[in-house]
Amino acid sequence: MKILYFAHVAKALGRREDDLEVAEPLTTDALWERLLALRPALAQYRATLHLARNNDYARPGDTFANSDIVALLPPVSGG
Amino acid sequence: MWQEIKFFDDALPPSPPLPEPVRGACGAWAEFRGYVRAAENGAAIHGLRYEIYPAMAEKRLTAHFQELAARYPVQAVRFWHRTGLVKVGEAAVYAAIASPHRKEAFAALAELMDRLKTDVPIWKAEAIPA
Repeated sequence: MKILYFAHVAKALGRREDDLEVAEPLTTDALWERLLALRPALAQYRATLHLARNNDYARPGDTFANSDIVALLPPVSGG
Repeated sequence: MWQEIKFFDDALPPSPPLPEPVRGACGAWAEFRGYVRAAENGAAIHGLRYEIYPAMAEKRLTAHFQELAARYPVQAVRFWHRTGLVKVGEAAVYAAIASPHRKEAFAALAELMDRLKTDVPIWKAEAIPA
């Protein structure tokens, strides 16, 4: 799956995206486990980030598959 | 409902007229333009760098337009936002709503700007110091 980073998180990681291969769809907790293993610096932002899957905010119970685009969204501040 | 969503790398264009499809039906075209101020969190700045997740921002904005249209007689919405560096004194956002009468247009426009700040993936990604 494609992982997208934005704003201060992208800056902190020095990258805007990652590719993550998963053997089977992941729960939110399992996805976070993989993300933190891949990018440990995400730990300090986790509490403030919302997950989106294919351009919709993720809902409890959603799973994340290889074909998904997952965005890690900081608190918004448009306008 | 007529709608337009656009994101701009450069200065926002001048305000266009009431969209043609709603001319005659709408007596109100309420517009808002939001500008970058010279200070951010108490510090003098040169500008703000905005970032947008366009595909999802369009989807969330469209959902908000539809919800507003269910509550107010909104017939047209135009929404523009800058991305990248927006210098102090430049407009970062333009939003406009058409309805038959002004009261509903003002109310819907105010609510749209409030909703923008709840879940539309647009960020002031960085404040550039003066």
